Amino acid sequence: MRRLLVKAEACAGCRLCELICSFHHEGRFSPRLSRINVVKEDRLGFDYPLFCRHCDHCPPLESCPNGALGRTPEGLLMLDEEACSGCGACIGRCPYSALRPGDASKPIFCDLCGGRPLCAERCPTGALTYEEAERFEERPEEALKRLLDRWGIVA
Amino acid sequence: MPDWYGYAGRILRVDLTRGRVRAGELERELARDFLGGRGLNSVRLYREVPRDVDPLSPENKLMFSTGPLVGTMFPTASRFNVSAKSPQTGILGDSNAGGHLAAELKFAGYDQIIIEGRSRTPVYIFISDDDVELREASHLRGMDVYEADEAIRREIGDRKIQTAVIGPAAENGVRYAGVYANLMRAAARTGMGTVMASKGVKAIAVRGTGSIEVADPGRFERLVMEVEEEIYNHEQYWPRRRMGTTRILMMANAAGFLPTRHYKSGVFEHAWEVSGERLAEEYNVKTRGCSACTIPCSRFYVVKRGRFSGLYGEGPEYEAQGAFTARVGNGDLNLALKAVDMCNRLGMDALTTSECISWAMELYERGLLKREEADGLDLSWGNGEAILTLIEKIARREGFGDILADGSRAAAERLGRGSELTMQVKGLDLIMADPRGLKGFGLGFAVASRGGDHLRSEPFIELSDDPKRGMEMFGIPEATMRLAYKGKGRLVSYFEDWCAVIDSLEVCKNIMENMEILPFKRAAEVIWAATGIRLTPEEVRTCGERIVNIERAFNVREGITRRDDALPKRFREEALQEGGSKGAVFEQEPMLDEYYRERGWNLETGIPEGETLERLGLGFAAEELGYKGIPKSS
Repeated sequence: MRRLLVKAEACAGCRLCELICSFHHEGRFSPRLSRINVVKEDRLGFDYPLFCRHCDHCPPLESCPNGALGRTPEGLLMLDEEACSGCGACIGRCPYSALRPGDASKPIFCDLCGGRPLCAERCPTGALTYEEAERFEERPEEALKRLLDRWGIVA
Repeated sequence: MPDWYGYAGRILRVDLTRGRVRAGELERELARDFLGGRGLNSVRLYREVPRDVDPLSPENKLMFSTGPLVGTMFPTASRFNVSAKSPQTGILGDSNAGGHLAAELKFAGYDQIIIEGRSRTPVYIFISDDDVELREASHLRGMDVYEADEAIRREIGDRKIQTAVIGPAAENGVRYAGVYANLMRAAARTGMGTVMASKGVKAIAVRGTGSIEVADPGRFERLVMEVEEEIYNHEQYWPRRRMGTTRILMMANAAGFLPTRHYKSGVFEHAWEVSGERLAEEYNVKTRGCSACTIPCSRFYVVKRGRFSGLYGEGPEYEAQGAFTARVGNGDLNLALKAVDMCNRLGMDALTTSECISWAMELYERGLLKREEADGLDLSWGNGEAILTLIEKIARREGFGDILADGSRAAAERLGRGSELTMQVKGLDLIMADPRGLKGFGLGFAVASRGGDHLRSEPFIELSDDPKRGMEMFGIPEATMRLAYKGKGRLVSYFEDWCAVIDSLEVCKNIMENMEILPFKRAAEVIWAATGIRLTPEEVRTCGERIVNIERAFNVREGITRRDDALPKRFREEALQEGGSKGAVFEQEPMLDEYYRERGWNLETGIPEGETLERLGLGFAAEELGYKGIPKSS
């Protein structure tokens, strides 16, 4: 399937993706309401966007007591707004911190903008791409270690 | 519907003496007349910090301000201004930096923070939306910028906070200490960190979860897309992405205005070894950017071999790179990176630090400074050990470093010699461009409201040396030719107004001015779409003019007149001896006349005429500067 992917070595940490995301989903600029969030370590020059990767195995989905989290026919994670009680059981269960409480305390997460993710389209450095991939399982700490090794930094 | 578009709409006053914090509404007329950022700080300083206040007393005020586009996706809208009366120069002080602090402040709900009084015990200010705390900071005392930032992150337990931190240089009273965001986004000119230290504030930490809305989302987005497109297609896009401002070093060297060995020459024989090109090839590993930047130009580097191998960090920018290479006669790039890294961690202005050191080196060369007076250091050009030792000593105010810790002007006074060799204007040490080879830049240094610095006008277009541009823009071909004099008053006043607008919208001057992306016309459209405030392009320029004039009024109130608008004697009397600007001196008086005429300032005194101030709606300043009744030209 087509996935949103990250090239950690290219991410400049500008967080434009967060602003574009909240603007298009919520009509305002707010990193808190963005479906994509960049973790940063300035000292090590590290920037890494996190978002829902629509994994085959999804702990938040399994944790929902109301069965409100499900899948689209394409296999994307989706929320049944009516079934969701806003209990927050799913928040914090995602290994990529990709589900976050929205304004109604219901989880918000990446919906790939319906198949044309604007964050990838507008990413200034090409760090975010939308392409065919079997899986995408890199964790930020793995990416950090990989980059530091490559750069020869002993942190 | 929110009350404000673009702006957060609120200001925060932190009264350290009483330990009281108060949020209030941003004044609508100030937003309209001064836009935000630098303009908002400057007018409030004028109103609230009267003449003769000791910059390090509780009566001085330290202000952080962002702009109406910050927090939105408008490219490069990421910056903040920090302003106060300067302890280095005694006049208006301010400094501007990017990174991610400014946007966080907006999301926390503030356009401006005003810090007043003095805390009895060391504190840091933690702003989390509406909750503002003064937190005990004794344990952070003496920590460098990196250490303090890390300690605060751990204490708050949130790595998403943004910080503005001062280092030990500020705490030790170095008068040109800066404020640092994202570790190395330095707001380092004019000693704003020193003022922060005098108030007992080690840091500001901010976390914001709110949002910013724009007045017309559809139109705003179209404008953003148009601007993005233009940036991506600009001929400077790739050079800037690759080298940031460090690309300037080779250009400056080729044109013969790269200040070398304390401005004795405009050509550096080791330029290539310390160039931006070499940094890009051999050191840089990654690009980094400020918030919402579509042309991220900061570079993360690693020293891979040789001395200081294993050193890593972000930067440097051209000014610091040049300051610790050509200016001090050092051809070792690794050493320069180490020097800049030290300045950042200790928290002091790399430019002024370098001026103090290179000034001492020139005195040493001329036999005006003895080795034993300089703590036994061999101050020969390029002596790396001496440079690094002096940086430490300055930051600790120790031995000879103590003499250099107030800037070159004060150092010469204290030493009782070398005054005519200090390369400063109004007490602010000059930047890395020799004005003999760039007349418009030089005029800009002479009149800039914060002293000897380019960022008030930066008529980058002069580097094009293209008479057609001068004709088009000003009706004077010479205006855009770097070695010509004619038309520079018009050029500089235009670019000063423009820079004031850019600094007040808090977008990036490199992109919006140097690359000519945001002229007044487009600025008017963007301001309208973002904030709903409708201004004509002329009115936008008038905002800039108003800001320049209120800053001048602040300085005039402190005693500044035409005789202070002067470059060091060397530039006026000694011609450059080699390179692309060979034979050039700097004749300032005719340019000053033209500039004052353009500005509507008195030719003899350099003081704004009463009618100029009245026209700009600055009647309160006209009155205070002694124009009574109906102001007329004196």
